[in-house]
Amino acid sequence: MMTYIVFILSVIFVVSFVGFSSKPSPIYGGLVLIVSGGVGCGIIMNFGGSFLGLMVFLIYLGGMLVVFGYTTAMATEQYPEVWVSNTTVMGVFLLGLLMEVMLVLYVLKSEEVGVVFKFSGVGDWAIYDTGDSGVFSEEIMGVAALYSYGAWVVIMTGWSLFVGVLVILEVTRGD
Amino acid sequence: MNPLIFTTILMTVLLGTMIVMMSSHWLMIWIGFEMNLLAIIPILMKKYNPRTMEASTKYFLTQATASMLLMMAIIINLMHSGQWTIMKVFNPTASIIMTSALAMKLGLTPFHFWVPEVTQGISLTSGLILLTWQKLAPMSILYQISPSINLNILLTMAVLSILVGGWGGLNQTQLRKIMAYSSIAHMGWMTAVLAYNPTLTMLNMLIYIMMTLTMFMLFIHSSSTTTLSLSHTWNKTPLTTTLILITLLSMGGLPPLSGFMPKWMIIQELTKNSSIILPTLMAIMALLNLYFYMRLTYSTSLTMFPSTNNMKMKWQFETKRITLLPPLIVMSSLLLPLTPMLSILD
Repeated sequence: MMTYIVFILSVIFVVSFVGFSSKPSPIYGGLVLIVSGGVGCGIIMNFGGSFLGLMVFLIYLGGMLVVFGYTTAMATEQYPEVWVSNTTVMGVFLLGLLMEVMLVLYVLKSEEVGVVFKFSGVGDWAIYDTGDSGVFSEEIMGVAALYSYGAWVVIMTGWSLFVGVLVILEVTRGD
Repeated sequence: MNPLIFTTILMTVLLGTMIVMMSSHWLMIWIGFEMNLLAIIPILMKKYNPRTMEASTKYFLTQATASMLLMMAIIINLMHSGQWTIMKVFNPTASIIMTSALAMKLGLTPFHFWVPEVTQGISLTSGLILLTWQKLAPMSILYQISPSINLNILLTMAVLSILVGGWGGLNQTQLRKIMAYSSIAHMGWMTAVLAYNPTLTMLNMLIYIMMTLTMFMLFIHSSSTTTLSLSHTWNKTPLTTTLILITLLSMGGLPPLSGFMPKWMIIQELTKNSSIILPTLMAIMALLNLYFYMRLTYSTSLTMFPSTNNMKMKWQFETKRITLLPPLIVMSSLLLPLTPMLSILD
């Protein structure tokens, strides 16, 4: 099972995405986002990116999702919708699950799968090397490169976040 | 809105489009699009009534979906070509997805449904920015990936856009919706020639922006948003009725006004490439556009539109002073003799 751990985690990832895109109430969407965030962290860590996985947990789950949870709790309604309460939501969820199950069976059974990319069965998901060059870890080098060669990207994303806050304040200010 | 924040947000809209037009890395282009989208939302919502909020929500949802599709196309391109540089997209799947995403951003059929609703829900100035500046960024990306766009999809979307833009605008009396359908039709003309000679796309974009700017500024000057309200300009500023006539006929593509130049060049380029039926169809469907422009001119400048006597006096605060209006009017009507200059657009 450990050889195919990335495949299993990816399947759980897709299932939790189906879970929140079938649009239950936002509280339950946030719940499923936590699961998907944790699973995504697991996928990254299996590729050797322990720092980035930790960042996902700390910043994404522990920062952004917490704030989202608080704001949703303030704006929630008396009887929030679960996946089984509304026929439409349950139908969409089951449809997504069905498509994922069919895709997984397709991948498991046939030798070569060509949806958009060609990959040969489940074997392509097993990790043989983590991408380290042996001397230093590629993933930490990536983070270092972001702050040296990628300074422009940092400036742009920083400015976008700043303007995002301005926009949110402006939109919610009202008259 | 606080002037400092308004300036910052407006500058961010400009910055987003500039980043899209100047970048050589696909990720930066996506960041530029998102920055543009994020910063234009409060500009669309300048007045806080439910209609503007609904319009900006619709705009945000469609443009965010388009950005997601663009990101997916970028990643598929990365997987198949291994690099992030802006050039023609090598994989057909990625090319089709990217064309659909950019068509959603531009408002081409079959993704045109948001354009009239969003344009109607916002103020005239916001609609001006929406229909002119926001078209620059997706068109520049289409220009850059034009060698690899699937011609069938592109031409289908273009011809359908011209048809929908002409047909949909027929039953409208609200000026903003008329301008929205006119925008859809012009985008169709621009994308039709994209695969044959992208310079003409840029020419059409230039002339279209000039004409749309002129029209919107004339509307802002007479602060009219319906045909009825526009038909009272003969009483307020009689000169603008003539100018509205000239500009609208230019938008309809009549010689000897400048709106004829892009249509003429596009039809010439298409026939040079041995497609005869397509430009014939496009020219015929442009007549639908011309019909509702002419109906506007008829009710505004050619007749005194019937109204009760107390409505003939238009109540308005002091006349807005729009400095850019006279040069724009001149440019949007008299540029036809300068057609040989279009070689500078290469």
